[in-house]
Amino acid sequence: MSNAVDTERDTDTELTEAPSGKRTTGESDETVEEAWTDYRFDGDAKLDVENLDVWYGDEHALKDVSMEIPEESVTALIGPSGCGKSTYLRCLNRMNDRIKSARVEGSVKLDDTEIYDPNANLVELRKRVGMVFQSPNPFPKSIRENVSYGPRKHGDIEKGLLARLFGRDDTEEEYDLVEQSLKQAALWEEVSDRLEDNALGLSGGQQQRLCIARCLAVGPEVILMDEPASALDPIATSKIEDLVEDLAEDYTVVIVTHNMQQAARISDQTAVFLTGGELVEYDDTDKIFENPESQRVEDYITGKFG
Amino acid sequence: MSEAYVRETTLVTDDSDYFERVLDGTVGLSLVSFVVGIAALADVIALGATGSELGRPLLTLAVAAVGGVGVVAICDRLGLVSITSQRATNAATGVVVSLLALTALAFAAEMTLARLFGITLLVQAVAVVSAGAASRFDVADTTPDPSAGLLAGLAFGAIGLIFGAAIGGSLVGFDSTLLAGVPTWVVVTLASGVGMTVVTVLPREDIGSTLPAALIVGALGVTVTTAAVGVGWQWNPETIDGGFTGGVVVPLFVLFGSMVAGWAASKARAGFGARGRQLGAFYVVNVNAALIVTVMITIVVFVAVKGIGYAFHGFAIGALSGLVVLAPLFVLALQWARGPAGTARWNSTVRQLVRVTPLAAVGALAAVLLGVLATGRTLDYPFTYTVQVNREPVVLDTSLAITPALEIGNLLLIISGGFLAVYFLRKYGTLRNVGNKSDRLVTVRRLVPRAIGGLLLAGVIIAILGRSPAGIPLSETVGSGLVLAGALAAVAFTVSPLAAVGFGDGTRRERAEQAARVVSVSLFSALGLLTTAVLLESLSGANPSLGPVNIVPVLALVATAAAGCFALICALTLRKTDDANLRRILRNEGTLGLAAASGFVALFGLHIALTQAAYIAGPVRIGLTGSLSWPMALEAYKPLGPQPGGIWPAVVGTIWLVTGASAFAVPLGVGAAIFLTEYAEQGRATALVEIATNALWSTPSVVFGLFGAAFILPRLGGDESLLAGMLVLGFMLLPLVLITSREAIKSVPDEYRDASAALGVSRWETIRSVVLPAAMPGVVTGVILGVGRIAGETAPLILVLGSTLNSTRAIDVIGGFRFLNQPPFIINDALTQASAALPTQVWAVISAGVSGSPSMGWASAFLLLTVVLGFYAVGIVTRTYFRRKLNYE
Repeated sequence: MSNAVDTERDTDTELTEAPSGKRTTGESDETVEEAWTDYRFDGDAKLDVENLDVWYGDEHALKDVSMEIPEESVTALIGPSGCGKSTYLRCLNRMNDRIKSARVEGSVKLDDTEIYDPNANLVELRKRVGMVFQSPNPFPKSIRENVSYGPRKHGDIEKGLLARLFGRDDTEEEYDLVEQSLKQAALWEEVSDRLEDNALGLSGGQQQRLCIARCLAVGPEVILMDEPASALDPIATSKIEDLVEDLAEDYTVVIVTHNMQQAARISDQTAVFLTGGELVEYDDTDKIFENPESQRVEDYITGKFG
Repeated sequence: MSEAYVRETTLVTDDSDYFERVLDGTVGLSLVSFVVGIAALADVIALGATGSELGRPLLTLAVAAVGGVGVVAICDRLGLVSITSQRATNAATGVVVSLLALTALAFAAEMTLARLFGITLLVQAVAVVSAGAASRFDVADTTPDPSAGLLAGLAFGAIGLIFGAAIGGSLVGFDSTLLAGVPTWVVVTLASGVGMTVVTVLPREDIGSTLPAALIVGALGVTVTTAAVGVGWQWNPETIDGGFTGGVVVPLFVLFGSMVAGWAASKARAGFGARGRQLGAFYVVNVNAALIVTVMITIVVFVAVKGIGYAFHGFAIGALSGLVVLAPLFVLALQWARGPAGTARWNSTVRQLVRVTPLAAVGALAAVLLGVLATGRTLDYPFTYTVQVNREPVVLDTSLAITPALEIGNLLLIISGGFLAVYFLRKYGTLRNVGNKSDRLVTVRRLVPRAIGGLLLAGVIIAILGRSPAGIPLSETVGSGLVLAGALAAVAFTVSPLAAVGFGDGTRRERAEQAARVVSVSLFSALGLLTTAVLLESLSGANPSLGPVNIVPVLALVATAAAGCFALICALTLRKTDDANLRRILRNEGTLGLAAASGFVALFGLHIALTQAAYIAGPVRIGLTGSLSWPMALEAYKPLGPQPGGIWPAVVGTIWLVTGASAFAVPLGVGAAIFLTEYAEQGRATALVEIATNALWSTPSVVFGLFGAAFILPRLGGDESLLAGMLVLGFMLLPLVLITSREAIKSVPDEYRDASAALGVSRWETIRSVVLPAAMPGVVTGVILGVGRIAGETAPLILVLGSTLNSTRAIDVIGGFRFLNQPPFIINDALTQASAALPTQVWAVISAGVSGSPSMGWASAFLLLTVVLGFYAVGIVTRTYFRRKLNYE
């Protein structure tokens, strides 16, 4: 109880002191040290985030986050509610652009290309950086149409009367793509005989895997997942977890989760955000869960805080 | 705290006691007097009727009540239905007993209905006040509150004021004064009002809510019984025009009195207190709701009774045409009957009956039609209708008839066949991912669309060059050859799946499975090719024939037969199949076969429509005019004929008005809704648009009409015109479409937009492919309800469309188009002419007075009402359909 009170008081202080740039917070007045978040790994960074700040109106939601995300691995983002991890995730494919009050500063590079460049092509960016949301949100269309939606809208698959008349009908390609994407999302076995059924008739777990398949059909390099299993039962959750581990062989997966066991099970590296929108520690998952550098992170992981 | 709170109440009462039975009976009596009161108000039973004139309708009601209650009671005894409510049982008994008693009184004593009403009211008053007394003196087991409450007190006080003024005034006269020049009736009024309030508020609730009610009902009862206000009574105050007659006032007294008595009796029945208030309110609210339904039903029935005879004079249909019309109905009834089979909801006899009834009705009709065909004798129902000739009503004989005519109109074929084809295509899933892929199929899939395109191109070329440019008989040689080739290819494509399933290696089931891929490609290609062939025929004017026989319709019939056979084989194979996957494939193949067959039938009709040539096969004739005759809706007015004809011009006018207005308002409204919801920043500007929209929606229609007459007409040539009518109705439709579309688009979850954006899809594409389809139910419902409203709109049309009584010619919009070789290149004279429309037709008959035929006006009103209610029904069905489709119910 006293911890909570302390946190609250300290947060207050921090809000007033924020302009001075002094980063002190938490119950132990612990300062985030540069070394805790300066995680190094072998190989290239798929995403390179530098000094990222996000404001919603006057609220400073994400503070000076820098982080490199390695290729073909699972990076978990954990932290208490409202710590800015979802905000951070939405910055990676510029979904925050859709929120009118949001303002983003800093730099995010995808394969050394700045995505916040004023001339960035959002369509191309979101084709390369796909996203899966917290609650399953398939379109009220058939399973097949859900999966082929992205490619069709991008003009990669052409169908219909005109396409047929000019001999550009991609119906076969569409079916191959649907089959391949559903197989990748481990859903093919369950729905192969009812592709024309409405997707809303699937169970929650199936819907979420369909959303993953829909995301894969566009051919992304990075997949962002915002608590993809939080609305699902344990069995569906474990299916999603297995799927994430499989996906990491070909894709770079960044996953936000509230469930620390889940993060420990499936991720290769873990970033811990704590109240106030700060990245406190970022390292190999084993290191974070067994021997974190920060006292606050240890408290959070062992359940004393948050 | 009153002693009532100390008393214990029982949780479950096994049987009702006399107190409760009498009160339930009173509720039944008040219901009876309410219903009979409405009948008297509507002049169904005359207020002055006596003896058998009064007894007979009452006896009818009594017999109906005995029958209804009796059947339910017998079913209850037999355990078929379970009536557990003591109140319902008692009230039903009360209804039966009161009706029987009233009937007996009517026959035995020579009393008028008015006096009978008075006695009824007195009985109710006595019952109510006895209940209050029984409760007050603890004879009955009740739980009253200390007071009936201030609200009831004020309500009764207000009624007391009115009663005091009326009764006091008429007893002592409105001229007499008390001391100091105060009019006596004012004192009586005030005393009565205050007295009623006091009597209601001060005593315990049981007295407080029964005594004032009984006083009011009793006063009404005495007034009516003593004929102080009776049959011949009339009051014409000098201060107002017009007056009140007994014929209106007595039924109103009865309605009001029985409602008050029913309320008090219900309250007493539940033992007063909270339960009593609940039951009293329940009674009043339900009677009110019933009153609203009664009003609606009365209007519809009244108009129908007045107009239906004229509307259906001379209605006749050939038995064969009837069967064509029945085909879609049969399919719909079949689907309705199949609906919930196997679910828990199916396990009820009543539900099964409800499900099966339409199917049985269709079957019965079909049997009758076949009977007419077999015997070759006309089946008719003769009746009479009146028309106005030289201001004198003339009764004409006519009949509803089913004739054994072997003629079918092509429009019927197109509508029925087209509907069935679309229906089956929607039921058809897909045959993909089954069977084997082969190169030949890929070739066919690539070639057929090109062939269709080529055929169409050839038709356009011939249409541009003329049929025989420079003496070359282009249409007879090339055109006919292409048409023939297209139709033959279509037949070949239709026969091929039949051959694939019918003959070949392996069992029929194996062949059906292997043929799956061939089926969809073949049948779709066949439909496409035949459609093109028919269109090409019209474009090029080619008409390939073999001697006197036209080849295309024969080929269309062959294709129909082949597709039908194919569907039949699939159905037969399906019966012997257990494998789920194979069953699905077979079902899909069969559905597609049926879709193709109905499509070919529709194309057959289209061929006749485009070539304007009837097709005669033996005794059957399929032509431009069918055997459906409906003078009222399908013929124009005949000024000099023995029969008056109908209002076809008005029907056509309304169709064009609605079409034009929708074509103009729906895209604008939906577009504006999309802009406001998806693109515009929410702020002052959107708020302003919203206010403007709502104001536009509330603008009286006659103002729209004035605007049209003063602003649009001068800019369209100055005369009343169809185009102006379309524009004005479009303006009226616009706000409703905008409002409903906006609500529908707003209610589409943001998750869909997020999901689409995260896939990199642009905002417009998202709106087009996700948001609008999801908002479709709301948009379509709004459009249909709006169209229903403007279809019946009269005032603006009188101002801008012109009102023509009994027009003899329908406006020809399609034929009115003319092409020019100078701007504006295309004009339409029909659009700038005045036209008739259903609502203005009704108005014209009314305003023309006796010189028009009133029964024609009623018939037009009946058709108009049917059209508007039809739009409303379609709106409801569409909404349900889209909701089911979207929510996967």
